[in-house]
Amino acid sequence: MTQESPPVPLEHGDGPLTGYRVLDLADEKGQLCARLLAELGADVIKIEPPREGDPTRANGPFFKGEQGPNTSLYWWAMNAGKRSITLQLRLEAGREILRKLIASADIIVETRAPGESAALGLDYASVSAANPAAILVSITNFGQTGPYANWAATDIVASAMGGHMHLNGDDEHGPVRTTAPQAFAQVNAQAATGAMVALYARAVNAGVGQHVDVSMQEAMANAMDHAQQTWDIRHVNTYGPGVGRQTAGVRSGRYLFETADGWITALAVGGLIGLRADAAIDWLAESGEARDLALPAWRKRLTAMEPLASEERAYVEETLSLFCKPRKKEALVAEAQNRGLGWAPVFSPGEIVESRQLADREYWVRVAHDDIGESFIYPGAPYRLSETPWRQRGRAPHIGEHNEQVYSGLLGIDAAELRRLKLKMVV
Amino acid sequence: MAQQARKKPFEGLRVADFAWVGVGPTVSKYLADHGAEVIRIESSTYPEALRRVGPFVNDTPNIDGSGYYANFNSSKLCMSVNFKHPRGPELVRRLVAKCDVVTESYTPGTMARFGFDYESLSAGRDDLLMVSMPLYGQTGPWANYMGYGHVLQAASGFNHLTGWEDGPPIGTGIAYTDFLVPHFAAVAVIAALDYRRRTGKGQFIDFSQLEAGVHGLGTAILDWTANGHEQIRLGNHDMEAAPHNAYRCRDGRWVAVACATEKHWEGLKAALGRPEWCDMDRMRRRWQRLNEQKEIDRHLGYWFEDYTRAETEEEFQTEEGVEGPPVRKFTTKQVVELFQSFGVPCGIVQSAEEMHADPQLAHRHHYWKLEHPYMGLRTYDAPAFRLSETPGELTKAAPMLGEDNEYVYKDLIGVSDDEFVELMASGVME
Repeated sequence: MTQESPPVPLEHGDGPLTGYRVLDLADEKGQLCARLLAELGADVIKIEPPREGDPTRANGPFFKGEQGPNTSLYWWAMNAGKRSITLQLRLEAGREILRKLIASADIIVETRAPGESAALGLDYASVSAANPAAILVSITNFGQTGPYANWAATDIVASAMGGHMHLNGDDEHGPVRTTAPQAFAQVNAQAATGAMVALYARAVNAGVGQHVDVSMQEAMANAMDHAQQTWDIRHVNTYGPGVGRQTAGVRSGRYLFETADGWITALAVGGLIGLRADAAIDWLAESGEARDLALPAWRKRLTAMEPLASEERAYVEETLSLFCKPRKKEALVAEAQNRGLGWAPVFSPGEIVESRQLADREYWVRVAHDDIGESFIYPGAPYRLSETPWRQRGRAPHIGEHNEQVYSGLLGIDAAELRRLKLKMVV
Repeated sequence: MAQQARKKPFEGLRVADFAWVGVGPTVSKYLADHGAEVIRIESSTYPEALRRVGPFVNDTPNIDGSGYYANFNSSKLCMSVNFKHPRGPELVRRLVAKCDVVTESYTPGTMARFGFDYESLSAGRDDLLMVSMPLYGQTGPWANYMGYGHVLQAASGFNHLTGWEDGPPIGTGIAYTDFLVPHFAAVAVIAALDYRRRTGKGQFIDFSQLEAGVHGLGTAILDWTANGHEQIRLGNHDMEAAPHNAYRCRDGRWVAVACATEKHWEGLKAALGRPEWCDMDRMRRRWQRLNEQKEIDRHLGYWFEDYTRAETEEEFQTEEGVEGPPVRKFTTKQVVELFQSFGVPCGIVQSAEEMHADPQLAHRHHYWKLEHPYMGLRTYDAPAFRLSETPGELTKAAPMLGEDNEYVYKDLIGVSDDEFVELMASGVME
């Protein structure tokens, strides 16, 4: 595979964004954003500091647990399909080259703290001076201005201050965050949406660029379900429900039941309560495990779409728990769905990779890592566009892998000049 | 500097929005809040699920009273039409003929049953953009599985990765994927709109909520496929950073603290006044601290317990009455400010009430107050981004069911006044 592997990134000539160029100067808050654009066809150039490369190359976990510049699975996941160049923005000579790159770019994604971007030529004034049509996407913890603009944050802090974490957890342990960082995932996806809106706006406004100011806290505020409206309307604070259902008095939510080989979730409304409760009760009754739920009074109670008293809920939960415990989760879910009940299995990452649904849809892509002579399964298309397809574009780049391609091909810098820039540690 | 008036990004685009619940309506909300004319297509005979889920004004269920529904549907219009009425499908098709985009999130096959599949709707034109957004996509053994984000978060890995290591996979407390995957779908839809703008060509987007959700799992998939390692829920710990947890203060509130870099850790040590435990050799490096998380949590847990006080003055007095040397005590807010002044990532786990009063969100005008004819002045979320030239604008509160029938039937579908009255009597608008 080493010899015949095509160079990365793979060509993508028929994406909806083919022909656009994106500069990626982002940390965890913006690398996925830029990757999404690459997979829709944009030429995404990752700009890294010379020599040591981007700091996120040191983010674990690492391939086989061995840390190195090209073994970070974080780097692999977030930067696949991009080109990489090195450029020292702390030197004026570096910023001069940056301005030329900006002049050729449509979208620039950066994640510096508000006060720090100007010194690197990444503030909107500098960017728009270099290219008035450029769209600068600035992704920060709390936004460009405001009382918390310079506060430090990581994923868990944004999850906390964005209100989302308050909705997770249980009474015993308190609030909990999702171990796979969701503030980062959220702000990346929402920033990509903002970038797209600005790109479209440019075309209908005679080519005017603009500054897209994205807040990670606000991205998490948008992941509060109906908690904000529940406060606004009912003055009730929603909080983590543990394994049970939502606690804000809203008649929705889900149960979690243990099975012989893991866990399943079941919708309360549309599953155990409400119009479909009869289907659930019939199922239990057919195997003689409905206990009292098959009695007319219980049927009436469960199909009434009224919230259950806590002892009623406990009885329903106990009955379902006993039913699920000896059975296997995928068979349970298949039969539940067969009866019109909205159940789903709790899948681990490995189980997701093995899932029938994703295999049937040929979701996974195998990505060649020609540098180590292996290939690995990556997540596939998050959306399938019939005319302008999503494409995975190969492995993530090495540090400065595309220096010559970009500096000579794009900016016309000759080999001698590039050598000189390297000696001066500009690239 | 004089600025010329900008056109809203999606001004002039019209969207037929068949989508329901969270995912689809969030995608069309982005379009509506940035200038598109989005028409929700609903029926009282089969109401949009969220119109029947609270929170309700006055705690009284009402088809026009759900805050849950409202927040997803700012800036939109609404027509009511019964697909099962003999005239229904034809009228809907006439409306779609006047639209640029169709959004929907029904179980696969539902749209086709009424002749609203992409092939039928795009007959005779090649500029229609349509996106279908069910849980599991248009094909495959699970295509017809039903559910909401409450259970999809389980199938897409979020339950497995949320909870305490020795406890059940509790997942988030919400219909989580409903609040993650629409942002992915919006990227695809707007990119396809840009392609359409340049080429005049529409297309069909098969969007599976599961397939987008998997992209929100960070490194978990690759850790499995490349290393054979199953990542697992770690409570509030992190695979990479220590300290990393939420600690309880005297007033019952929780504060999240994370040291992802040595700089953060040095800042925390300084903020704490360099107690002995944190200067020990085995605390020096991040990878060392990852092995000492229990010990770190114990010390920080005590610190938060000892050095915070209840927020009210009255309780503070009681604290001061305690014998012993005077100890400087902080309110929860002061702790956060202290840590932040040393550059330590740190913040209160905020409730909805606190979010409502958050000065940063107020500064960014995150929450919009919009007047609704039935619900009154209510809170709506804005996008997480501010565009300097063409900012999003929530132009109106969510529509009442069928609020815009007259405009949609007469001006867009093109029925006469007489016919409108007849149609109303026929029941097709129910």
